[in-house]
Order: sequence, then structure tokens, then C-alpha cells
Amino acid sequence: MLARRALWLPSAALLAAGLVAPLLRVLAEGAGGFDLALLLDPYLGWRVAWSLIQATVTCALALVFGLPLAWALARFDFPLRAFVLRALMLPFVMPTLVAAIGVLALFGPHGVTGLNLQDTPWLLLYGNLFYNLPLVVRAGVDGFAAVPASQLAAARTLGASRLRAFWRVEWPLVRPWLASALCLVFVYCFAGFGLALLLGGQRYATVEVEIYTLVAYELNFADAGLLALLNLVVSFAVALAYAWRERTLAVALKVERLAPQKPRTLAERLALAAALSTLLFTSFAPLAAVAASGLSAGWDVWRGLWSEEGRLAAFNTLRFTALATLCAGLFGVAHALAARRSLVWRAAANLPFIVSPVCVAFGLLLLYPAYAASLPLLLAAYVLLAYPFVAKSLAAALDAEPPELARAARTLGASPWRAFRRVRWPLLRPALSRGLAFAAATAVGEFAVTLFLSRPEWLTLTTWIYQLLGRPGSANLAAAQALATVLMALSLVAFWLIERQTDHARTR
Amino acid sequence: MSLLRRLLPPLLVACAAFGVQAAELRLITHSSFDLPKPLIADFEKRAGVKLVVVKAGDAGEMLNKLILTRANPIADVVYGIDNTLAAKAVRAGVIEAAPSARTAHTLPGGLAAIDYGVVTLNIDKAWFARHKKALPKTLAELATPAYKDLVVVPNPATSSPGLAFLVATVDALGEEGAFAWWARLRDNGVKVAKGWSEAYYTDFSRNGGARPIVVSYATSPAAEVFYAKEKPAAPPTATLALPGGSFLQVEGAAPVAGGREPAAAKAFVAWLQGAPVQKALQTTMWMYPAVPGTPLDPVFRHAPEPAGVKPVDAGRIDANAPRWVARWTRVVLKGGR
Repeated sequence: MLARRALWLPSAALLAAGLVAPLLRVLAEGAGGFDLALLLDPYLGWRVAWSLIQATVTCALALVFGLPLAWALARFDFPLRAFVLRALMLPFVMPTLVAAIGVLALFGPHGVTGLNLQDTPWLLLYGNLFYNLPLVVRAGVDGFAAVPASQLAAARTLGASRLRAFWRVEWPLVRPWLASALCLVFVYCFAGFGLALLLGGQRYATVEVEIYTLVAYELNFADAGLLALLNLVVSFAVALAYAWRERTLAVALKVERLAPQKPRTLAERLALAAALSTLLFTSFAPLAAVAASGLSAGWDVWRGLWSEEGRLAAFNTLRFTALATLCAGLFGVAHALAARRSLVWRAAANLPFIVSPVCVAFGLLLLYPAYAASLPLLLAAYVLLAYPFVAKSLAAALDAEPPELARAARTLGASPWRAFRRVRWPLLRPALSRGLAFAAATAVGEFAVTLFLSRPEWLTLTTWIYQLLGRPGSANLAAAQALATVLMALSLVAFWLIERQTDHARTR
Repeated sequence: MSLLRRLLPPLLVACAAFGVQAAELRLITHSSFDLPKPLIADFEKRAGVKLVVVKAGDAGEMLNKLILTRANPIADVVYGIDNTLAAKAVRAGVIEAAPSARTAHTLPGGLAAIDYGVVTLNIDKAWFARHKKALPKTLAELATPAYKDLVVVPNPATSSPGLAFLVATVDALGEEGAFAWWARLRDNGVKVAKGWSEAYYTDFSRNGGARPIVVSYATSPAAEVFYAKEKPAAPPTATLALPGGSFLQVEGAAPVAGGREPAAAKAFVAWLQGAPVQKALQTTMWMYPAVPGTPLDPVFRHAPEPAGVKPVDAGRIDANAPRWVARWTRVVLKGGR
């Protein structure tokens, strides 16, 4: 029992030392200089409003597109289904600059589609979908897969139309899963320095860009701290509201799952084809454009990559990702278990996405200057940004866990370990795997690296890509795209390793 | 002192040879720092220290990290403080003077000049040939309808070349004149990107974008030749050094005040001014060597230095830069005056 009470300790320590303390340190640095008039600045008000609007619109869009896609991917079996589900997470590993290059290769002034959308709002929306659909679709697929076959069959037998069955049976069950993903999309977009910003130019900058300038260029901690607090309050209110809803939405699962089936009728085939083409359009096309340029970069470019530097970057990427994913798993599981009873703790899992990363990076530097350029600090930052995926995904699965099953197993004489192994584990495993896969994707991606002190011997594929794109020249661009292709291939292998068992469990 | 300095490196080497662990010299620098590994190994051997390179982001971000940690310095020597930041570094007391060789340009506060570059506009030659458009001859012309929607600049609030270009315009046109020009440029559809990489790779028409005029460096056309997949005879881009549109950027190095290895830090600064580094930095960091008489790499024939670009007073930049950036944001991004 004592052990269970202590579950909140690891992530509490990590959040306190790695997030709350740095933010407080930055606020202390600015203490005395706070000027609330800042919040009345109309330009700033517009920035905050814009941050809110684009986050809300993105959520709505992600839901509209994500829901049918998730349904189709969950219900229909087709060749390469497992591959498609994993490839869906690739946008997460792509450095934003490379993703933008991929998008422009399609819809830019020299794009292959001949359609130039640069500097139009359409490209902004497209960029948002590219990064956020994966979260919603993957969560939705898990949710739909958990709908009990018997309930759906009963509804249909009793004469409910497919639509009515969806509305009365599937929707209530899948809602918590989608809500969890949408909450993440919201906080991401609200804080984001994202692809949308890159494609839209500085006109569409969110508040975080303002904070970056204030801290990194002007050392104006008072204004920056105030803005960071404002961001924190808005996002945390959303996270808290969601945490409250999450508990009320939770529906205990039944065990018999609905396996995906081959589409049988023409309508089903068309639905699947439509879903896959949408995904191809929103998520895979820019990646394919990058990979096509990367693969056709030429022998000289590829030979140049297979250097001492290249091997170092590949090794570091693998090593950091493995370590960060492992630690994210441990912290995430502990956090999810601790969050079962506490609303605030549930919302706290969002903190690493909410607290201004610029403030955290500078706060850490002020707090621990001696460790500023040390590997443990960098890895801690990776873990901090990766573990919420595990915590949130697992928390949703724990909510949906039917308590009577484990009790029944225990009554029938199973040891606690056996009850866990045979009853609870198979139900929790897919959510854990999904969380770990997203955690790995975050670690491979750029999130932690750009704001912290770095050392050349910590070169990763992502930092190398940014170095190459820091210089002019077609060979640098080609090398960056070739590296991005390697990054995608390695990530697919990582996703396959993490989710291997899950497929097996699903098809059984 | 000089005897000690001459004796110290061999002494340190001797210590290392006897199994005493070599001391560490911590270098803090910006993300563009890049020198060949064998050169660095050679320095380590001669100075008897292990060089630990710490990259702290963009130059402005790097200096601020150094200022924040001055009570407990995170480095012993710094490279990459340029003339937009030099006076601020001196004012904050984070650097110490180091003996410097004679250089083409100098920096205040005992910063030893290592290299210099010219931030200036670059054009996509093919675009101008294809559209049969004449090149603008003045900054004023750039803000006329003939060049509508053709320019992309990095945000001075988040990018060093962006700030350099802004300072150049203020120096040439005067503060009021410069911001009136920026307002016209805004109405003429200038696009603002977050940093140089974003501007060059997603907005410049040579790469993914539609705009044939970008803020970059005078050495960029040479780099385009050097890093071309198939070596062209002439670069695909060219500099467009409009009067008042170029900024002379001088980068320097100095020991960090309160650093642990002052002797090795000075040796490092001297090494940066030595012939091997002065030669190597041209094609790794794409800057001109600061020490006169250094032979230029053949590819630099594609990087002629724009004539008549004078350095802007470092003290003036320090005193005004935050205000200029704030006003720039107000004029260009907020649509004010």
C-alpha cells in the first residue's frame, strides 16, 4: 500500500526539479519588474487570441478529419495496415524545417502539384493537420478497437442502422480516447512554435515566440515570466477541465474486442479507399516528397553521410531515444497509476507541454549552471517532454479498465501477479505501446534539443539536419533530406520494435 | 609572464604524459562554430588541454547565457561575440582582454577579432533572368511596386543576420528614415521568417519559396558553388549590395571573466588567429579571415567583398538595438509606425 502511495514521487520530483523550479527561478529573476499593463497591450491580446483561435480550429479540424479516418482504420483490415498505423507517427519525428520543405515540394511555388498555396491560410491548416492528425487517429483507432463486438452486433440485430449504431454504441465509447488526444492537440498548438508558424511566416506567431525574444535576446524576465504565466494559466485550465471530463466520460470496457475485417461491400471498399487517400494527402505526401529527394540525392551525398560524423549521429540518436523512451516508460507508468485518484495530478501530466520551453531552458541554466552542459540534464529534458505521452495514454486505458475482471480472477484463485499478467496486462498493453511509440518519436524529434546547451559529441540526426540547413548549397539540402529519410527509416524500426507485441495480441 | 606562457604548454604536455589527466578548456560558442577535428586535436596537444565545445544557440542567445551565469561561469573562453554584441559583453563584464594579432577590423573591450562577414541581400539569378526584371539599385527602389512580394528577411528579434540587416538600414537612412522605409517595405509585401534557415530554404525562390531576394551573406554565393551537387562554373546566386543594405559583422573571441583556465584561454584565442584556423574557417564557417595576409580559398573568388561597407559603432548598437528591434516589430509585424 505504501508502495502505491509513493507512485507519484518520481514524476513529482522530475516535474518539480525540471519544470516548476526553473519557471519559479525565471519569475524570481524578473521579480519587481512585473507590469500588468503588459497584458492590456492590444497587440499582445491579439497574439493570445490568435493562439486560442488556431488551437481551437485545429482541434475541430483534427476531430472532423480524424474521426472517420480512425473508424476506417479500426474497422477494416487491409494489406500494410500495421505499417500505415506506424507510419502515421512519422510526422512527429520530422524536424519542422524539413517538414516545411516537404510540404512546399508539393504545394509551394515550385511544387509538383502545380498548386501554389504558400502564404495562404490553406497551407497553415494543412500544416496543422499534418502534425496533429496522427495523435487523434491513433487514439481513435485504439478507442474503436475497444468497442465490444457483442454490443455493436446487438444494436445491429435489433435493427439499428449503421449510423445509429455508431451514434449510440461506438461514439460514447470512443469519446474519452478522442478527448484525450484533442486535449494534447490543444496544448501543443497553443504553445507551439510549429510547422504552421513556419509556413505562415511571423504574422502567425504565437505568444511563445514573444517569450523567446524577451528571454533569449532581451533578458527581460519580468515580461517573459508574466507571459509564460498567462500561457500556463490558460492551458492548465483547459487541461484541468479535460481531466474532470475525462473521469466522467470514462466507460468501463468489455474484453471481447472487435477485430478489423476485410471490407466486403463496395461502400466499405470506397470508405476505406477514401480514408487511405485522405491520409496519403494529409500525412504521407510531404514525407514521401522528402524521402524521394533524399533517395535521389546521389551517391556522393550518401557516401558523405557515411562518415565518422554520420555514425556518431546515428549512434547518439539510437542511444538517446532508447534511454529517453525507457525512462519515459517508467515515469509515465508511475504517473498514470498515481493519477487515478487525483484530478490535479491528471492535469499535471500536461505540464511539460504547457510550461514555456524557453523559460525552462533558461531557468535550468540559472539553477544548475554546473550541469548546464551535461548529458544527464539533456536526457532529463528529453524524458520530461516524452513521458506525458505514456502517462496520458495509460491513464485513459486505466479508466476504461473493467474492475470486475481482475477481481473475478482473484476470486477464482489467481495470484495478484497472475491476475495482472493474464487479465489486466493484455488490456493495458496497447495503450502503453502507443504512449511509448509517441514518446520515442518525440525523443527522436527536435523538441528538447534546440534550446539547451549542446556539445558536438552529442550530435544527433536531427541536430545534424539543422546544421546542414544552416548553410547555403544544394548538396547541404540534399544531405539534409537524405538524413531525414534515414531518420524515418530508423523511426519505423523503433515503432515496430515497440508495438510488435500489440499487433500479435490484436490479431489473436 | 611571457616566459611562463611559453613554458606552460610543454609543462602541461609533460603532466599529461605522466598520466595526470589533462585540464579541460570549456569553449562557449554559437551554433555555427565549425572547425576541422584534426586542427582542434593539434591545439589540444600543444596546449595540453582537452577542448570542450559548448554550443549555446544563436550568438545573441549565447551571450545572454554567458551573462546570466557570470557568477559561476559555464565556460573559460568564448568565440562568436560580434560587433552587435561586443559592447553589451563589455558592459556586462563577462569577458577579459586577450592579446590580439593585428587585424583588418577591431572589436572593443579586448575582444580579438577572428573573422568578419558582410550581411547583405542575395538574389536568385535564374529568377531575375526568367522574369527579365532589372535589379533594384537602391533600398528605396526595393520598396516600390516593381518589387512587390519579392523580399524575405529573417526576424531581427530572433536572428542575428536579421538584426544586422536592420542595423545597416538604420545606420544608412537614419532612424526615422529607416523605419519609414521599413513601413513601405511592409506595405510592399516583405515576408518575415523566423531565422536565416527558414528564409533561405522555405522562402527563397532558389529553394522552396517564391521570393528571389533574401537577406544572407556576401560569401553565400561561394558556398553555393562549394556545396553544389555538381560544381557549376558560376554561382546560381549573387549578392545585391545596395547602398545602406550591407552590414559588416566582425566576430571575436576572448577569455571569459572568472574562467578556470586563463592561460589556455589566451592560447586558444591566439590559435584562432593563427594561420591554420584563419585558412580553415573560410570554408567551414564562411567568413573572411580577420588576420591580413591570409590567403583566400580559391572558391572565394565567387565571394567578392562589397565595397565601401563601414563598421557601425558597437556602442551605438548596444545602446539602441533593443529599442530598434521593438520598433521594427511594431512597424513591420504590428503595422504601426
